[in-house]
Amino acid sequence: MRRPLLAGLLLTSSLGAAPVDFAHEVVPILRKHCVECHAGDKKKGSLSMNTRGSLLEGGENGVVLVPGQAAKSKLIESVLSADPDVRMPPKGERLTSAEVATLRAWIDQGATWTEGFAFKKPAYEPPLRPRQPALPVARDGRTHPIDRVLDGWLTEKGAPTPPVADDATFQRRVMLDLVGLLPSAEEAQAFAADRRPDKRAALVRALLARDVDYADHWMVFWNDLLRNDYAGTGYIDGGRKQITSWLYVSLLANKPYDQFTRELVAPSADSEGFAKGIIWRGAVSAGQVPELQFSQSVSQTFLGINMKCASCHDSFTDRWKLRDAYGLAAIYSDHPMELVRCDIPTGKPAVAAWLYPELGQVDPSKPREERLAQLAALITHPENGRFQRTIVNRLWHRLMGRGVVHPVDAMQTQPWNQDLLDVLANRLVESKYDLKAVLEFIATSQAYQSRAEILARDAEDKGYVYRGPRAKRLTAEQFVDAVWRLTGTTPAKIELKVPRAAPTAASVKKPVVEPLLAAGIWSGDVAGGRLPEAGETRSFRRQLVLDAEVDVAACVVTCDNGFELYVNGKKLGAGDNWADPKSFDLGSALIKGANQIVVVGHNAGQKPNVAALFFQANIELKGGARVKVATDASWEATASLPNAKGVFAAGKAKAKAAEVVWQPVAIVKGDAWRKAEARMAEMLAGAGASSLPARASLVKSDLLQRALGRPNREQIVSMRPNELSTLEAIDLSNGQALTNLLSAGAAKLKQKTWASPEAFVRWLYLSALSREPSAAELKVAAGMVGADLSEQGIADLLWAVCMLPEFQTIR
Amino acid sequence: MNSPLPLDPSLPEPLARREFLRMLGAAGAATLSMGAPRLLAEETKLVQPTATADACILIWLAGGMAAPETFDPKRYAPYEKGLSYDRVLSTFPAIPTSVDGVRICEGLENIAQVMDRGTLIRSAVQPDLGSILHSRHQFHWHTGYVPPQTVACPHIGAWMARVLGPRNPVMPAFINVGQRLEGIGESEELKAFTTAGFFGGEYGPMNLPFPEEAAAAVRPPKGMDVGRFVNRDREFRRLVDATPSRDLLSDYQHESMLRSMDNAYRLLSAKERAAFDISLETPEVQKEYDTGRFGRGCLLARRLVENGARFVEVTTEYVPFFQWDTHGKGHETVAKMHAEIDRPIARLIRDLEQRGLLDRTLVVIASEFSRDAMIEGRPGSKAKDQAFNKSGVMTSPDHYGLHRHFTGGTSVVMFGGGVKKGHVYGATADERPLVAIKDPVSISDMHATIFRAMGISPKTAFDIEGRPFYATVDGKGVPIPIFRG
Repeated sequence: MRRPLLAGLLLTSSLGAAPVDFAHEVVPILRKHCVECHAGDKKKGSLSMNTRGSLLEGGENGVVLVPGQAAKSKLIESVLSADPDVRMPPKGERLTSAEVATLRAWIDQGATWTEGFAFKKPAYEPPLRPRQPALPVARDGRTHPIDRVLDGWLTEKGAPTPPVADDATFQRRVMLDLVGLLPSAEEAQAFAADRRPDKRAALVRALLARDVDYADHWMVFWNDLLRNDYAGTGYIDGGRKQITSWLYVSLLANKPYDQFTRELVAPSADSEGFAKGIIWRGAVSAGQVPELQFSQSVSQTFLGINMKCASCHDSFTDRWKLRDAYGLAAIYSDHPMELVRCDIPTGKPAVAAWLYPELGQVDPSKPREERLAQLAALITHPENGRFQRTIVNRLWHRLMGRGVVHPVDAMQTQPWNQDLLDVLANRLVESKYDLKAVLEFIATSQAYQSRAEILARDAEDKGYVYRGPRAKRLTAEQFVDAVWRLTGTTPAKIELKVPRAAPTAASVKKPVVEPLLAAGIWSGDVAGGRLPEAGETRSFRRQLVLDAEVDVAACVVTCDNGFELYVNGKKLGAGDNWADPKSFDLGSALIKGANQIVVVGHNAGQKPNVAALFFQANIELKGGARVKVATDASWEATASLPNAKGVFAAGKAKAKAAEVVWQPVAIVKGDAWRKAEARMAEMLAGAGASSLPARASLVKSDLLQRALGRPNREQIVSMRPNELSTLEAIDLSNGQALTNLLSAGAAKLKQKTWASPEAFVRWLYLSALSREPSAAELKVAAGMVGADLSEQGIADLLWAVCMLPEFQTIR
Repeated sequence: MNSPLPLDPSLPEPLARREFLRMLGAAGAATLSMGAPRLLAEETKLVQPTATADACILIWLAGGMAAPETFDPKRYAPYEKGLSYDRVLSTFPAIPTSVDGVRICEGLENIAQVMDRGTLIRSAVQPDLGSILHSRHQFHWHTGYVPPQTVACPHIGAWMARVLGPRNPVMPAFINVGQRLEGIGESEELKAFTTAGFFGGEYGPMNLPFPEEAAAAVRPPKGMDVGRFVNRDREFRRLVDATPSRDLLSDYQHESMLRSMDNAYRLLSAKERAAFDISLETPEVQKEYDTGRFGRGCLLARRLVENGARFVEVTTEYVPFFQWDTHGKGHETVAKMHAEIDRPIARLIRDLEQRGLLDRTLVVIASEFSRDAMIEGRPGSKAKDQAFNKSGVMTSPDHYGLHRHFTGGTSVVMFGGGVKKGHVYGATADERPLVAIKDPVSISDMHATIFRAMGISPKTAFDIEGRPFYATVDGKGVPIPIFRG
């Protein structure tokens, strides 16, 4: 076996051939010795080194640099020359031999250049202020401003107009994009049957009006972009703060984006988590102190500016300088800051300043809060087109699969269509920063409703060409929600304390907090210290007269050990775990006038033990009056049991009605139920909304969601990977979490009545893929579930359908 | 025992049809994701050093393994009531090893006998991060970067997966054994570095927290027999082929998802999956390794490397205040840790050697920092003292041990993979402070050394967000001269 003789020798030779790093090694040399005369406005000898192109062009004496051939490059010759007429630079310090060696190596290696880099002015500088592009004339009756711009572009390029997507494809796409959910089979059929010509626009508007679904779904996007999470690095020792409640309420209310931004930049206690960043224990590098994190986060999230490079040194890739990064940091800082370059203090003070002084400036002499308010106002300044373009570009990317500027955080680069970006930005401003209005604007365009581009591996090798929307991978949250809904396995509750209800004027200002008034009760015969028997059952009732129609009403109930709830002769539900209180909507059960609430409580166990019932209803009547009903001494109990409807004296049992003896209840006290009581208080705070099924976006990340690409949110995430990795595929193939979900789902689906295996397959394809199966698919799929629709067959087919690229993609 | 799944030749036809895609390798998956990191070497023709190792096993003794209690014994003082901390450097006496003049701590008798197979580095140093938080130093050790960073940093195993790829196309390149990432303290902080970071999920770790359950990770899920699993996959492929909309869905996206499904099925059906099943070893071998979860992890690591894994980390597991994280009862706990690691590590080295694998497998034993009875951080550090007993005098056996985190000098052991045999590199002082006094090795240089063995230049860089991100900070890590040659 051949072995190197000397490890040291080997090492030296490999270092000798090591690549030169243009940004970190070459740029400083050229900057130090050359660009003063050969960049920007200066072109001594007609030579500009501003960009690679201009450098290769050469000057009045011809070509100065031949990529790959340092020996033939005049640049090297002149920096070495002793001839005063030839030598470069003509005056001052010569290049060191190490610097010359670096340049030689760089040229020999091909004189690579960071794409888009220029010494003085970037090759492209985006407009700052809003623009009012002239719209091309509408073609073929396509009058939507987006279509006018794109059709004009397509005409100019002689490119074909992407064909329109069919209704089912559109419905699946728009539902996943706007509310994150698949259309159910019923929704799919209803939409297909809808003959209204404007049904697509109507669907877009209807989806955006689903406030809770919208908020649930867009939490994913915003949590990623604001690096907010329900658990994660930093929370362990108070170095990080959630903004979950503020964010949820803001989305629910569709808070105007300018106001939303101002509340993050100049925050209140509810929203300060974003500005605070992550405070690590101990020493961190100068570029990662919380003040510079603020600088970076605000720049990236709201302006699509990468301030990370400039947090350490003047950026090599764009126009931002160390002092710009510190300017923003100093606005946030509560103490004087010094510019620190690559962890070495410079002695220069940081001056609070923002990035586009042409729109106004922050007054560094003002106190911190005022400075932040000024910054917030400048970012959301009506003339700050960068702010507007950054967010509409993000939304375009979410819906269309690729940004107008791409990647979406590189807003300094050229959009493939400036007019399109401006039409979107102007829509945002006209709508008073209404994000739903922008989403509606995009989703109602023919462009959005076109067939997805068929993407080839080399799609962007020669630059981006618009060929219609691009397919997107389902997010982890969309995948999990879809599986939950398909299989009926959605968890009943979420851990987060967010008010999942349509906001009222009051709740937007301040989420409702409801105290728990309910006391534990049992029949009066326990007052003397008797312990209820194991298996003892008691009925409890509360009569209630309401003066007006009910507007909203909800209740929470739990009983140690179990209960059934009846209201006005109708069973509303039951519970069998006292630690897991249930909530019910009473809106349609309660009436104006006399009402009767009956709860049957059961005790369990092997021997006599304590038992207690807790109930509380919060009722809002039309006209605004509020009524609260909670278990207390006013309730009555009996040992008699009602019929299946909760009625004691009905039909033939009438004669026995007289035997029902209602007696006062006893209050049962104890610490044992504290957890359940706390949970009930939480559920009441949700104003009954906690009965909404869970959404994956509102639960902590778990193995399955991580396997599907839900990120850790230590860094801002603006684009998730579109690919399924092998490890993810392994988890989906044999991970216990998905397997269990699908088994439980199969058991539930088996319970339903299916006319035939084919009927089940049709339902599944319609629900999961928004289309009928082909004959070939029907045959394979029906074969999998078998004539008897076995639970195992159903589980396997569910898995197979969920693994289809078609399922995992929004196209 | 499970009946074997069918091997590749019996895989259904659609898989074979897509075989060409696999030739693109895992790396191909990320190429079209715009903004995905680009290996800068592709443009600049970086010459990678010739590898002296094909595989790497990192034995991670998490929680702060005290060098004076393991590989760098100092003056020993037995416990007595009233013993003053300043008299205690080591709580274990030194024993000889198979290398003349090199002594390690009592309790590591088996490892002592294999020390002639490797290089003992006694001068590893860590920066003073101002406050000691294990997971933060672990982040630094595993990624080479001090947290926080502006981009998500890849784990050293992800670097190997990204740059070198899998050794055996069926085996995940990066496997992480023994560390739970759920339900323990600082688990979020652990997740922050147990990741491929900006490289993307394709290069991330396959996590196997319980070695004895590793076989299940490559087996059909619980409750599903092999026949059903195979059938399910076959029917899935038939459904894929029956999909009428293939022409509507981008071929590229479609194929890239299917390729990952193929890769997954390939592992789950290949003979290599037996590598994950330590119960296939003879009872005698199992017994030899089985000092606990860590010992079983070493056995698993050996089987994985034998079957083509590129990088395996196996750990005694980090759980705050457990294992090596001794804030009290240090001596008693470390004695238990000795018993847990001594036999399996020694056996692992011997097994690799006996199979002819040690020469091309680099085994690294390391921890985030050392411990000392007196000094928190390093001399002059402002780090907060976290020892339970701060009195300066031991009044109970519980006080006997090194209960403070020490970053001034610690030991790392490397076996095989081209490193010198029976060699010692660097030294620490013989009296407190026990700082590195000869040839200090930074984390950058330590990484450069490991990368050097694996054939990765410390200057290897990827382009992320318009900046180069290097295998070692600024590309400046320098391998230490411990290689045979």
